[in-house]
Amino acid sequence: MEPLTLLELNGRVKSTLQFEMPDAYWVQAEISGINPSGQGHCYIELVQKDPTGRTFLAKAKANIWRTTWMRLRPFFEQQTGESLKVGMKVLLQVTVSFHEVYGYSLTVQDIDPTYTLGDMARRRREILQQLEKDGVIGLNKELDIPVLPHRIAVISSATAAGYGDFCDQLNKNVYGFRFYTKLFPALMQGDDVESSVISAMDAVARRRDDFDVLVIIRGGGAVSELSCFDSYSLAFNIANFPLPVITGIGHERDDTVADVVAHTKVKTPTAAAEFLINRMFDTASALETLTHRMSDAVVERMNAEKLRIERVTQKLPSLFAVAKVRREQVLENLWNRTVTGVNNIITSQIHKIELMEKGISSADPVLILKRGYTITRVNGRVVKGAMGLNKGDRLTTSFPDGTIESEII
Amino acid sequence: MKYEEAMKRLEEIVSRIEENKMDIDQIGDSLKEARELIKFCKDKLYKTDEEIRKILDSDD
Repeated sequence: MEPLTLLELNGRVKSTLQFEMPDAYWVQAEISGINPSGQGHCYIELVQKDPTGRTFLAKAKANIWRTTWMRLRPFFEQQTGESLKVGMKVLLQVTVSFHEVYGYSLTVQDIDPTYTLGDMARRRREILQQLEKDGVIGLNKELDIPVLPHRIAVISSATAAGYGDFCDQLNKNVYGFRFYTKLFPALMQGDDVESSVISAMDAVARRRDDFDVLVIIRGGGAVSELSCFDSYSLAFNIANFPLPVITGIGHERDDTVADVVAHTKVKTPTAAAEFLINRMFDTASALETLTHRMSDAVVERMNAEKLRIERVTQKLPSLFAVAKVRREQVLENLWNRTVTGVNNIITSQIHKIELMEKGISSADPVLILKRGYTITRVNGRVVKGAMGLNKGDRLTTSFPDGTIESEII
Repeated sequence: MKYEEAMKRLEEIVSRIEENKMDIDQIGDSLKEARELIKFCKDKLYKTDEEIRKILDSDD
């Protein structure tokens, strides 16, 4: 028999295929690649994987010609709320063809969106509905993030970049906040994510009093691998977790079920660290504000006391004039120090709290006594003004090292 | 003591001074307490607590 040319051989394959498979077929497949062309066609790669999702069992190229694509695309997007993308399972009506140069390919005639909905979105929705029905969906969100979220349990893969990014971001925070992290390692991709993450969560839950929050993070992964976070039992565990859960699973698409039930969901591990740093910043600001108020209140109170002392000293006879001047000087000095202290507090951006402490120190009545103030009492009661004092009253004046008695003449 | 408790106590002291409900004799003690509370809170925020480190480093 004469050898065939390649063209003759391919021609025979082509006509055999045409003869044997002339119809259109509905085929289920997963999209592994999608590439809209400039001419308005859409080229997609279809695969079938084994149940583990790791091995390809079958693969084919499929073309959606422009006129079909213009019709199918809006229809599909309207029905599913999503566009065709990698990782999506689809049900396509195709014709089979063979070209002598380009080989085997499928031509898409129609698409059934209900299949895709059924496979992905419906599954997620059903999980959420079940969580809602079980009354757990909002449970974790009801927990408060502690004011000091510094003891952090982290579930992540120890080797993944995401965990390193998270720790780096926390530890180099510009405010100098101290964080304590402990890693509970888990698989963050593949088929064992669900059981692995849940058992790590159990380990954290056993030590719940040691931690303030739980953070579940991973670096960016293939889009299709996110489906492991669309899991009822994982979501159920997150919703019921005794500590607030922050997820940073690293993706841009719609939230996974795990994200929906978590207390707080961010996109990346770095963002999770930022969230915690911001929370600590709020806490530090509250402390600063309170310290400020304290300082202001004491200054105000001192002002009032100063006026009282002045009023009293004005009533003192000339015999005490020297003492009066001395007291006024001490008071003036003390006042200036306090004002300086407070000014420092306001102007300093970095060591606000330390400076405030100094401000408070200089306003401390114990120190005031040591610097020359006295407390005057009549019959054991503190005298706060000249009002009500009478000639003949005996004044008891307390100094830091003792008291003296005097009489108003 | 917990951080939250310290902040609550501090808030209480500040409010009392602001509202003029504190005798000048009491202010001294309150200021001393407030200063300790502020230091406690600051330490929690900015200083490494070896005790926490130890607890977290230990295994189940």
